[in-house]
Amino acid sequence: MIAFYSFRKKSYLISLFLIILTTSIIFFKGLNLGIDFKGGLNIEVETTLSNAELSSFIRDLDLNREFIIKKEIGSDIFSIRIESGKDNANFIEEFISLIKQNPSIEILISEYIEPTFSDELIKNSLYALASSLIVIAFYVWIRFDWQFAISGIVALLHDVYISMGFMSLFNIEFNLTMIAALLLIAGYSINDTIVLFDRVRSITSAENNKDTFENNVNYSVKLNLRRTILTSFTTILALLCLVVLAPINLTEMPIVFIFGVIIGTYSSIFIALGLVGDLNYEAVLKARDS
Amino acid sequence: MSVLKRWRVWVSLFMLSFCFYAIKPNFSENQVSQKINFGLDIQGGYSYLLELNQGEYKENLLTKTSQILESAYNINSSINNGNIVIPTNQNLDALDNITIQSLGIELLDNTSDEYIYSISEQSFNQSLSDMTLNAVEIVRSRVDYLGNKELSIQKVGLNKILLEIPGNLDSNVKDVISKTAKLTLHLEKKTFANTTLFTNESTGEEVRVQEIANLTGDYIQDASLQFSQNEPVVSFSFNKEGSELFAKMTSENVGKRFAIVLDGALITAPVIREAITGGSGQISGNFTNETANNLAIILKSGSLPTQISIIQEKQVGPTLGQAGVKKGVYASLIALIVITLFMIAYYRVSGLFTALTIVTCLALLFALMSLLNTTLTLPGVIGIVLTIGMCVDANVLVFERIRENFQSKIDNPKNDGFNAAYITILDSNLTTLFAAVFLFAFGFGPIRGFSISLIIGILSSLIVTYVLLKLFLEITPSKYIGLNR
Repeated sequence: MIAFYSFRKKSYLISLFLIILTTSIIFFKGLNLGIDFKGGLNIEVETTLSNAELSSFIRDLDLNREFIIKKEIGSDIFSIRIESGKDNANFIEEFISLIKQNPSIEILISEYIEPTFSDELIKNSLYALASSLIVIAFYVWIRFDWQFAISGIVALLHDVYISMGFMSLFNIEFNLTMIAALLLIAGYSINDTIVLFDRVRSITSAENNKDTFENNVNYSVKLNLRRTILTSFTTILALLCLVVLAPINLTEMPIVFIFGVIIGTYSSIFIALGLVGDLNYEAVLKARDS
Repeated sequence: MSVLKRWRVWVSLFMLSFCFYAIKPNFSENQVSQKINFGLDIQGGYSYLLELNQGEYKENLLTKTSQILESAYNINSSINNGNIVIPTNQNLDALDNITIQSLGIELLDNTSDEYIYSISEQSFNQSLSDMTLNAVEIVRSRVDYLGNKELSIQKVGLNKILLEIPGNLDSNVKDVISKTAKLTLHLEKKTFANTTLFTNESTGEEVRVQEIANLTGDYIQDASLQFSQNEPVVSFSFNKEGSELFAKMTSENVGKRFAIVLDGALITAPVIREAITGGSGQISGNFTNETANNLAIILKSGSLPTQISIIQEKQVGPTLGQAGVKKGVYASLIALIVITLFMIAYYRVSGLFTALTIVTCLALLFALMSLLNTTLTLPGVIGIVLTIGMCVDANVLVFERIRENFQSKIDNPKNDGFNAAYITILDSNLTTLFAAVFLFAFGFGPIRGFSISLIIGILSSLIVTYVLLKLFLEITPSKYIGLNR
């Protein structure tokens, strides 16, 4: 039998390394905050111009505002992000009318968000995140023992945090859609963890089972391994279809999610189950037996 | 026919016909309310998030409360730092607890010479929320008058309004929604005390008038674009009360000028030539057809309770949306086909059950979305793809359990396997479901779109797995389902 459980100490080290890596990436590189969380203007255009031509065209407009241009890979679509300033409402109107003078540029999306509102969105998203995490922990705590609730939540936070590091590393814009992606990862992670928890609980609490906790965990993971591989595989398959075929402004979400699926599968087997053992779940079982 | 004795057969049939009837309206040519709407990111259009000025509203509320104190209870008060200050020498007997509660104020502090009351938070929020609902109707009627029929408008939070209009941009919309439209008429006054000097910036016209308005636009009943000597003008008519006030004001002040002020800016200051008793008037002053029409629209819709600011604006060109939908649908279909083929290759007959389960799950998802009149956005499409994933996962869990049972030669492998797996499925799906519900409650924009399809998707998947997948497993003899190899 593969010794999944005894690998947990090594996996703690790996995860610790990943967490430190994520922290330093976020600390030094920062999150690429989109206008949802920073305020400002965002205009997506489709044009045959090159990046340099588009840049000089916009520079010549004398906006008096900082702007960044980013080309979406594999398309003629550029996103132009402009910092927020006074009277964004009129500014964006004027900017659009100036751009429309150039017939080779087509405007796909234009939007702006006042910084006061983006502050509110940050608060709002944090509420959403925190409240759903609490609900998840509460549910797991009711259905299982507290060791499971803590381990499940730790594994989940681990997955979400490292996924944020992944986003920062690859300069993926952090916006409301990405909050949804992170929650999706949280959902997938807890889903995967609970399936394993269920198995461990039913095996360890079987009456005629006198095996060690370690062997029981290994046996549970082995029984579930096919399911874990099949589900991760089919989910990634579906997401790959989205990456390749989805509209340009939606490719980043499935990429982040694929990363989340991989890290979530890893953390369920090694981190979550390892922690359940290290939180001395065996003692609970022994107390129950006697 | 033992098959017909199974309740799952009948529930499945009922479910399929329900799906059929609920999805059908989506293909109807007529305007129906119960169908899936497409979000702006899919069909193109523009949206504005408007915010009413909370600070200004609080000031208004304080002034109003202070006035009520004076008129109804004969208590003089002043406003200081967002609180109502009542000197102790006032007769405070009338202010019993019930009155204080009905006024929505609470005692904050008292010193030897004054009581300080603040507006209670609960009462303020309630009042703010009511005001926003009122403003929603005003904004709706303004945009309606411009002829945008398919708009969606809703209150967001306490003091925000989300306005979404599909289709091409109508630049007048921004013009009519962002104006408060507080119209006031002021009589000319030559003295300096309690007067203000108004200047029209484009014409240079100047007039010194009394500070407090003699008449306000609240009395206006109707307004429209008219032409006077080929120039566009806005003609308006007062309601009965307003007509009387207007008649009194004009008859007593013939020969004087009066200022027509909109949102603090002078529009024009005509001379009163004779008493106007018909209750109607005209505003002229450098209008274009468009600006005159917009002014008429906002005058007849009524003024907004406070200033309004656009805190988020988004315009999505129709080309992107349509291309996006096409791609999104293709992506989902291909994902569906690839997964189905994989499942069939791996599980044989059971894989076929999965295919049928997924298709029914999607049908139920769309049926419920139509029934609830949900708006489908691109993040919502991702939520649907995820639903497919969860449905596949449920199938895999069931199949693997049954396969195990066959291996360990348990008596009733299919039934026991399904039941054991279904507990796991319930546990894992319910956690995600609860999380999604909270996301929906707290989230905004794309998060909501995503969570609503996830919520409906999880429910559909749970139902379809429990009814249809189990039915397939029950009625197919063990040797054919391909799990006992």
